[in-house]
Amino acid sequence: MDRHRRHRVGKLMNLRRFSLIAVPYVWLLGLFLVPFLIVFKISLSDIALSIPPYTPTLELSEGWAGFRDFLSQLDFENFEFLATDDLYWKSYLSSVQIALISTLICLAIGFPIAYGMANAPREWQPTLMLLVILPFWTSFLIRVYSLIGILSQEGMLNQFLMWIGLINAPLTILNTNIAVYIGIVYTYVPFMILPIYATLTKLDGSLLEAAEDLGCSRTEAFWRITVPLSKAGIIAGCFLVFIPALGEFVIPSLLGGSETLMIGKVLYEEFFANRDWPVAGAVAVILLLILIIPIVLYQRNEQKMMDADT
Amino acid sequence: MPETVFAPWNDPAEKPLIQFRNVTKRFGSFTAIDDLSIDIFEKEFFALLGPSGCGKTTMMRMLAGFETPTSGTIMLDGQDISPIPPNKRSVNMMFQSYALFPHLTVYDNIAFGLKRDKLPKDQIDARVKEMLRLVQIEKFGQRKPEQISGGQRQRVALARSLAKAPKLLLLDEPLSALDKKLRQDTQFELMDIQEKTGTTFVVVTHDQEEAMTVASRVAVMDHGRLKQVDTPDRIYEAPNSTYVADFIGDVNIIAGHATTQGETVSIAWADGQPPIIGTPSKPMDDGKVSFAIRPEKVAISAEKPTDRNNMVQGKVLDIAYLGNLSTYHVQLPSGIVIKAQTANSRRRASRPFTWEDEVWLSWTDTAGIVLES
Ligand SMILES: Nc1ncnc2c1ncn2[C@@H]1O[C@H](COP(=O)(O)OP(=O)(O)O)[C@@H](O)[C@H]1O
Ligand SMILES: [Mg+2]
Repeated sequence: MDRHRRHRVGKLMNLRRFSLIAVPYVWLLGLFLVPFLIVFKISLSDIALSIPPYTPTLELSEGWAGFRDFLSQLDFENFEFLATDDLYWKSYLSSVQIALISTLICLAIGFPIAYGMANAPREWQPTLMLLVILPFWTSFLIRVYSLIGILSQEGMLNQFLMWIGLINAPLTILNTNIAVYIGIVYTYVPFMILPIYATLTKLDGSLLEAAEDLGCSRTEAFWRITVPLSKAGIIAGCFLVFIPALGEFVIPSLLGGSETLMIGKVLYEEFFANRDWPVAGAVAVILLLILIIPIVLYQRNEQKMMDADT
Repeated sequence: MPETVFAPWNDPAEKPLIQFRNVTKRFGSFTAIDDLSIDIFEKEFFALLGPSGCGKTTMMRMLAGFETPTSGTIMLDGQDISPIPPNKRSVNMMFQSYALFPHLTVYDNIAFGLKRDKLPKDQIDARVKEMLRLVQIEKFGQRKPEQISGGQRQRVALARSLAKAPKLLLLDEPLSALDKKLRQDTQFELMDIQEKTGTTFVVVTHDQEEAMTVASRVAVMDHGRLKQVDTPDRIYEAPNSTYVADFIGDVNIIAGHATTQGETVSIAWADGQPPIIGTPSKPMDDGKVSFAIRPEKVAISAEKPTDRNNMVQGKVLDIAYLGNLSTYHVQLPSGIVIKAQTANSRRRASRPFTWEDEVWLSWTDTAGIVLES
């Protein structure tokens, strides 16, 4: 009897463990894999004047034959099309470039801010932290629109620069790549600051003293101790900026000009302006494939950080 | 030829390596170091001893250059060190927390200071290997600090601070994280290393036994002041205050009133008890005194001793068995409890006294210390 019960308990335990493991997989399946498969399927379809605007659609009533027929109509034409028109690969490249440069600017601005925060008096730190996340309390769109007000020809920035006499005529900033950089950096710099700040606050101050004690100047100690020990935070911050910036479309379409090529914008135009869902699907699939590399690297870094903490 | 004892502090011709001259350090309105003057000599193993918060770490940090005195000067080799930044001082510190660089291997941790001196590679390598050998961690050179045990980390920290062959090595509670057995072994190793390298060590500890074991001289501190600076045996046998007597080891302190009788003093201390005869270390005035006597200097016997001036009778109140020693707490008729210690040379079963036994305590005229209070 005892053995019987133990067996049942064991089964229950297995069930519990299984459901614990299953939850994230079900989550991934429902929220990632299924939408991805739908988009992937659309990318293999052809454009059509119908609702939805592509063929074929799966007719379950026709049974197995219908499914075979459905499969036979799918092809990689849209991907081939992406390869032939240089608009697309140029957009991908330009997106990577803009995201990369924005990430570096965010790092250059975010690191000193995080460093200053971590070295500020303890009682100030919660306030400083609040200031960093305060912008998130306002809608992202509103913030980008207000950037238009600031960057336009008659905007506050130009007025200010002319008022202090730095320039005579207003600068054209809005609708250029510069505005896109400003927008991306402004929007994403908190994602750079927070992980770096988190690693810097964990840094043991006596390590810097030990480095000085052993003959380092303050600057040398910074480069040899502070920077290597905040590497995980720097990497996390870079990915947190780079990944969303790569697919960004609101900022380039609102702040950028005709010269601004970003894949998010192209995707948006294919989808809404051209109503070419299959090509848009193909663009999205490629974008995802490009993003998978940094996402995997980011996950690895997070894992390492967690291992280091325990 | 008599062996010359190492006692540069007794030689007026000897120049001290470190001199604190009226050094005061304040944090805001709090005085951590209070008008402190002290000389420390080359090759000394100098121990700073005191309760937590008395300013030991602050003294070390001033020597290392992480704090500057509010007033007064600190001289190293006859030179005022206040304008010299920490990275330019030939002083190295072993941190209380070890402060090993977690991203570097044990080898690179030890090489860190040498690399800053831009020494040639082969010279660095030779020195690091020598250090690894000295602290017996040759096998762990390629490991990261997180991959070795606490005791090994402590050795790495020691090796790292020794690698640059500093004139002065500061050790802040170097052994506090080790368990007792390992701590004792390491104490002897430290002394050994200090002898081999000839470096001057200043070691902070709050463990009085450790200070007594390793040090050539001990400074007992309290609230930012020096209470006594002396050799371990003098600190133990001739404390200059009840604070020092009480801080170091176990002691009975009896308050009384002294009357000088030639070489000795007679101390009246409790009604119905004969006065205690003591020998003061220097001539003193009549008046209130404290008589301090170590438990091991108090003999315990069943019969009334015949050869001593000082004896009292009492009842055994408590026995603390420490293995090698037993401490008897004996209560006198007046209620005062005096501790007496005997060595357990025989097995426990044949312990001579037990609870409630009437016993005699006795000591010689020179066994205790008469302290003006
Ligand atoms: N940076 C500081 N600011 C304010 N008070 C301090 C600072 N450093 C030490 N103290 C105070 O000075 C006293 C002595 O500290 P410390 O030298 O660390 O003592 P110890 O090492 O003997 O335990 C303590 O009361 C401590 O609170
Ligand atoms: Mg301390």
